Amino acid sequence: MPGKDAHKAATRLTLKSQLAELSRVWPWVDALAAEYDISGETHDAINLCLEEALSNIIRHGYRGQPDHAITIDFISLGTSLTFTIEDQAPHFAPTAHAASPMATSIEEYRPGGLGVQLMQRFAGTLHWEPLPNGNRLTIGFAVARPPGK
Amino acid sequence: MKITTEELDGGITKVVLEGRLDIEGAAAVDLKMNVLAGSKMRLLLDLQKVTFLGSMGVRTIVVPAQTIHRRGGKAVLFAPSGMVEEVLTASKIDSIIPIHHELSAALAALK
Repeated sequence: MPGKDAHKAATRLTLKSQLAELSRVWPWVDALAAEYDISGETHDAINLCLEEALSNIIRHGYRGQPDHAITIDFISLGTSLTFTIEDQAPHFAPTAHAASPMATSIEEYRPGGLGVQLMQRFAGTLHWEPLPNGNRLTIGFAVARPPGK
Repeated sequence: MKITTEELDGGITKVVLEGRLDIEGAAAVDLKMNVLAGSKMRLLLDLQKVTFLGSMGVRTIVVPAQTIHRRGGKAVLFAPSGMVEEVLTASKIDSIIPIHHELSAALAALK
């Protein structure tokens, strides 16, 4: 007979370094959102930050090599939600990435560099630390609770 | 991600995008968007049914709009909402491609 916590969403997800693996992230976040009563706005911000962080790791960190591991750990501390992403790619600090100047006309627009800026805008906190053989990126989101909850 | 088109009066092509414009969604519509950018002069990009927009999705919208501009045409964005509009404004895309929430204003901007 399943234990009382058997229905709970897993707090760790391990992916291979392939863009197709991102499709496994959204149902995982959906399950966490249902389990932890995450608001729609925060849910969107989580999806956006995870897509940007994970796709950067896969495309730029691992440079398309498909068989490396990426782990994502989720922790809820009541007033905050934290996702910690670890990889074994070369060091890259998104927190040190200076914002690219925004185009002021359609002629000036150049693709690229927007993902980190969106993470910096939509995450509550963003913390990067180098690991001996990789990177740890911690993305935090404040929990907005309706009064009385 | 779905993409459908409708020809309107005045040589305007309405492009309706529907679903998540994430990496997977962007890859699904990029070719069609680029074909439209190379063959149409006035694009109304209807974003009402786009539920998610990431940086690759922004590229999927802006690069074709830039191509059309270089060809002497115009593109406008119509009716983004929620996080989609927030991503567009955070990216300052609203300052380089007009966003309209009224269809009449969007059509007038393309005339």
